[in-house]
Amino acid sequence: MANAAGSGGRETVPGRRTSREGNGSMNPLVVDQVVKRFGDKTAVNGLSFEVAAGEIYGLLGANGAGKTTTMRMILGLIMPDSGRVLYEGKPYSSEQLRMMGYLPEERGLYPKLRVSDQIIYLGQLRGMSRADADRNLRDWLKRFQIEEYYNMKVEELSKGNQQKIQFIAAVIHRPKILILDEAFSGLDPVNVELLKATVKELRDQGTSIVFSTHRMEHVEELCRNITIMHRSNPVLQGSIRDIKRRFPQERVVLVTEGEVQGLDRLPGVRSVQRQEAGYELRIEGEDVAQDVLRHAMAQTAVRRFELMEPTLNEIFIKAVGERVE
Amino acid sequence: MWTVMAFTLRNKVRSKSYIWSTAIMAILLIVVANLPYFLERLDRGSGEPTPVGYVAGVYPDIVQGMEAFFAKQEEPDVRLVPVSAGGSSAEAALRQALDAGEIKGYLTFVDRPQVGFPSVIYQSKALMDHSTGEALRYALESVKTEMVFQRVQLSETDRALLSTPVSLDVRQITDDADGKTAAEQGVAIGLTYAILILLFMAVMITGQLIATEITAEKSSRVMEILVTSVAPLKQMFGKIIGTLLAGLLQMAILVTAFLVNLTLPQNKSAIESLGIRLDVIDPMLIVYALFFYLAGYFLYATLFAAIGSIVSRTEELGQALTPVTLLSLAGFYIAMFGLQNPDSPVVVVCSFIPFFSPFIAFERIGLGDPAAWEIALSAAILLASIVAFGWLAAKIYRTGVLLYGKRPSVKELIKAMKAYKV
Repeated sequence: MANAAGSGGRETVPGRRTSREGNGSMNPLVVDQVVKRFGDKTAVNGLSFEVAAGEIYGLLGANGAGKTTTMRMILGLIMPDSGRVLYEGKPYSSEQLRMMGYLPEERGLYPKLRVSDQIIYLGQLRGMSRADADRNLRDWLKRFQIEEYYNMKVEELSKGNQQKIQFIAAVIHRPKILILDEAFSGLDPVNVELLKATVKELRDQGTSIVFSTHRMEHVEELCRNITIMHRSNPVLQGSIRDIKRRFPQERVVLVTEGEVQGLDRLPGVRSVQRQEAGYELRIEGEDVAQDVLRHAMAQTAVRRFELMEPTLNEIFIKAVGERVE
Repeated sequence: MWTVMAFTLRNKVRSKSYIWSTAIMAILLIVVANLPYFLERLDRGSGEPTPVGYVAGVYPDIVQGMEAFFAKQEEPDVRLVPVSAGGSSAEAALRQALDAGEIKGYLTFVDRPQVGFPSVIYQSKALMDHSTGEALRYALESVKTEMVFQRVQLSETDRALLSTPVSLDVRQITDDADGKTAAEQGVAIGLTYAILILLFMAVMITGQLIATEITAEKSSRVMEILVTSVAPLKQMFGKIIGTLLAGLLQMAILVTAFLVNLTLPQNKSAIESLGIRLDVIDPMLIVYALFFYLAGYFLYATLFAAIGSIVSRTEELGQALTPVTLLSLAGFYIAMFGLQNPDSPVVVVCSFIPFFSPFIAFERIGLGDPAAWEIALSAAILLASIVAFGWLAAKIYRTGVLLYGKRPSVKELIKAMKAYKV
């Protein structure tokens, strides 16, 4: 785990596994040094991470970074060339399929079949009884307030509602490990909130969730730990808080009563942007911020002063961008 | 696997196309089964003989002879009606009777002194009045023969000899005690032909269905969930068996509908009169038919499934299926050729080639007389190739379902198989 970040190695995280092993329990999902090559192209290069029970783990990366391959390896669709994936401490077997749920990025259901028929079928495929699957389906439909869709064909539903059905298909069998690939894409804000709340609830019930997306604001809201992948390599790993702490806080938001002169002439200030109600400054280090505040207070009343932590978006662009030479 | 199977079966059986095609085919078969009976009924017309007019007084000996001929028949086709010419011409009087509906047609005679028997013209309004024409011809022939008999004074036995048709019985030499009679051969050819078509259609239709469904699952991306829910192998064989059961069910319904109608009392005699007797069918032939149906189905279905799995879009499926379709068509046409020559070397060789043998080995059993070891060898090769192709298809399927986009070439497929470690 120590060299998980590969050759770049700068942002390596102290192994979370050691802390967990202290508790004597194995995490439900352990990805250990997996490598996957397709021909001479390496799709995933030495990726490791763990997902605890009741945790949402963020898997980030640009298109083609190796997220889908990683998820397919976790799902047992393809076997890693080296390394291993452990499910509650056990290697992959067909039994693990039953405790996994998958919401693929490319959505798909039988368009001509009724919602009830196919969801119950998918539940049965994962070892549920018919009655059980039916009961769960009704619960979920009720929860999403779309009970009337029970007997409708999928092709008759709106896209948003198809997404909800797809989500139900992924969780109908109460999986212990849930893999969500771009779970909220194509949904309107109301439904995003609804699904987000549902995902959080599943997390609180102890489900281990692997969450892949490009939408950084969702990651910041949901995930405790993340991996940012770039060109098959994990370039940034760890808890969001740690990662943010490692990136300098270089942004200052300043809202004042009157105008502040000469901000750009202060030492350590890289740039000043005039905004509607105040200024946004880029600074070289945190200590410069105090100078900025003093400078402003000397001229006018300060309404708001904040040293902003970097957004995940900025970190992502930085982490990925740095590698694009 | 049972879940997949039950699901496939349930959806298939409940689908509109399945219900409709079964119903329509059943109705067609029922019509076909009852056809001989209807034809017989139509033939007899309303049971009444057709009234045919003639001008009273012409060729009395011929007319009397004909009347005597019809009188001897139990259900004569023709009743002769004399029409008196009256004042007008004979032709006009006959036309008048025809228009009045008293007669359906009429006879006129033209002298042929050099032959000694007039040529007869039958005129009617019907376009194709063959049966009446035939009846009249027989009657005239009989009258003519009778006339000759009276002149040459033959003995009764000579007469009987002349009038008895020649009996020629064509029999096939087989290892069984008695060969198949011509009637049995006819039934065998007819039955083999029917079963061959059934075999071919069942294999092709259900096979294509499987391929279409798998491609549809892929293109609708439901496959992504399926492969993560159940092992691809189980999925593939569940689908194949489910579709097989749906096909068998359909066939059972159709065959039952057909047979029930064939054995209805009114049909029994009609069919027997055509020389078809169901009890000459060897039950072993049905057993073989079932075996080769199942074997052929599994062989082709696994291939269809494999091809369906590597195609991403339904539109591309037809093209991808062409090689298999051609293979089965070749088998079918060789079998059609073999109907006439079940013992030709081509047929014999092809009865051992896996993709042809379901049709051709069965045909040889039905029509020719293959040795037991030949049947066993053919069946063994077939079963072995089912295992081999099933294994290969499973591998292709396992890889194919994950490959999207352009249809992969064989090389790409092998590369992907290696990469996926299947």
